[in-house]
Amino acid sequence: MRGKFLAVGVAAAASMMASVIVTDSGARAQSKAPLGLGQDAAARPWKRYPGWPAADYSKYNTLGKLATAPAPKEPRKLTGPVGGDAANGAKLVADRSRGGSCLACHVMGPAGNADLPGNVAPDLSEIGNAGREDEWLYNYVFDARVYNPETVMPPWGSHGFFSEAEIKDIVAFLKTLKSPAVFRTALDNPEKRPQPVEKRDNLDPLENPGMWAVEKGEELWKLKSASGFSCNTCHSDPKTSFKTWAASMPKWEPRLNKVLGVEEFVTRHARTTIGVDWPMETDNNRAMSVYLHFLANGTPIKVDTESAEAKAAIARGVELSKRKVGALNMACTDCHGIAVNKWIRGQWMGEPKGQYDHFPTWRTSLLAIWDIRQRFQWCSVNIRGDELPPDSKEYGDLELYLASQNQGLTMSVPGIRH
Amino acid sequence: MRHLTRRAALALGAGSAAITLVGWNGGAFATPQAAADDIAKFTGGATPEKGKISIELPEIAENGNTVPLSFAVDAPMTGTDYVSDVLVVAEGNPNPGVATFHFTPLSGKAEAATRIRLATTQNIVVVAKTSGGKFYTGQKLVKVTIGGCGG
Amino acid sequence: MAETPKIRVPKTAKKGEIVEIKTLLPHIMESGQRKDKDGKTIPRKIINKFAAEFNGKPVFSANIEPAVAANPYLQFSAKVEESGTFKFSWTDDDGSVTTAEEKITVS
Repeated sequence: MRGKFLAVGVAAAASMMASVIVTDSGARAQSKAPLGLGQDAAARPWKRYPGWPAADYSKYNTLGKLATAPAPKEPRKLTGPVGGDAANGAKLVADRSRGGSCLACHVMGPAGNADLPGNVAPDLSEIGNAGREDEWLYNYVFDARVYNPETVMPPWGSHGFFSEAEIKDIVAFLKTLKSPAVFRTALDNPEKRPQPVEKRDNLDPLENPGMWAVEKGEELWKLKSASGFSCNTCHSDPKTSFKTWAASMPKWEPRLNKVLGVEEFVTRHARTTIGVDWPMETDNNRAMSVYLHFLANGTPIKVDTESAEAKAAIARGVELSKRKVGALNMACTDCHGIAVNKWIRGQWMGEPKGQYDHFPTWRTSLLAIWDIRQRFQWCSVNIRGDELPPDSKEYGDLELYLASQNQGLTMSVPGIRH
Repeated sequence: MRHLTRRAALALGAGSAAITLVGWNGGAFATPQAAADDIAKFTGGATPEKGKISIELPEIAENGNTVPLSFAVDAPMTGTDYVSDVLVVAEGNPNPGVATFHFTPLSGKAEAATRIRLATTQNIVVVAKTSGGKFYTGQKLVKVTIGGCGG
Repeated sequence: MAETPKIRVPKTAKKGEIVEIKTLLPHIMESGQRKDKDGKTIPRKIINKFAAEFNGKPVFSANIEPAVAANPYLQFSAKVEESGTFKFSWTDDDGSVTTAEEKITVS
């Protein structure tokens, strides 16, 4: 298998040398670049990364399919007083293993001796004075969609995060909240907490360990494969010829009928030209993607947003960004829209502009480089939904939409983020 | 630019690093008492004087994996009178010890910077020892951010 | 096998100047506190000592614990009275030592 594949790659490489070797223009290479259309650019079937939650979320929507059961239409009836154990409720609202905890979005008075609560949703510290019926409180926690179909609040009961008895405990706790929040320190108050400022020099190898990928990319560029060819065979002056290329990506690719990003381009182009296999989300692919972005550092992002195909892809991206996915039943826009400039627990949510110009980026919390597609995948899994393969058409549409929101920003890769 | 070996690239760059394994998990955590015990060992039982140490740490750390720490001791660094050792302990990590720095008159300044791991919101305590056997201390609280999604 | 450290030392300095030195060694700093996916503790493997000397005389050193982050970074100062060579060493739990040198011209 391997031998045959390589032979095909070498033949393709040999046949293209004559036409491409005379020009080392990144832009021209892109419009004509061989792409090896026959194979996927990432593993199939897609298998979730080791160490990520292994749970099966197939009952719920993804960006690729609709599966979530319809929302209930009517509130559930309570036959008597809610009862419930307020002390247990206080624990449950702070339990981060149940979908992140209520404190991610709500200030809740003394709940869980709250450290760094969020402020995406209303402060509930005095909800006990609001005169709400038990049944209303119960249903709001169980599945708030019965009162507000567009709510950001996850359907905690309908999607099984908490049992009916546990939700009664939570309601019992909510009813005890009757005085304004007293914060442990000034920083715990999300209204006063200073927003984080990123000051590190992300291109200094003493600051950003992700710079390994630039060195690795330079090395791979010149590495001759079994075919005898390297990237350098055709692109002998990458610093010049790729000075702007990565800033023009992703781009609609008619041969693949989807938006093509740098990472998938690398996989396909390298496979069919020099005959190497650098699938998406492997170290060689990451290194090459970082290097190609690095070469375009300082260039303003300028993706095609004007062609009919680009406009259609962006429109699809906009729609996808509003789709409720996963067991938490959240859309991209629930955080990266409604929660912008607010705190989700201790994490500041910046606007989408500024969330793309540094990808692929080094993640200090993970000691790893993530490209934008892996970031999309993590968002999906984090809201308890199945991710798509990184080369999926949907992620392409979403990437182009995000890039269009970052149009004009100066690229600086690899970034460094938490 | 220096060459980084393949193994280094792998050690640093394994893109699928296990999220649940990053940082510290399980086990008991240090206490202010355990940190105080370490300090007592360092000072030989003497109580360090508060002051002369400035500590730079973020008020809120975006994660506990790599928190920038620097300190400076306001004391002479001459051939006969200098800061010889600086102990850094963390009150809320699995073990309180972080590092002990050793200076000489050739250091020029009793200053250093590193990046540390913090398992949770906690106090970082710095204790300096001079060649004349004096001890100074300072401390700073760092809040380690909690993510919203439970992941 | 040792990794290649990243070091920043000024190439030149004036006599008596205090220069700033930055060092980083690519290293996982396995804390001994983590468990693998089968619940087994991953054995500790860290850099436990760093030392810097100038023309054979000690300038700065550190004993470091698992609470120092991966890719251990150390920044410190040195007072230089003469041209010479800095020698740096990082000692691993497994006994291996990584070394590096940087020259400085003092005028």
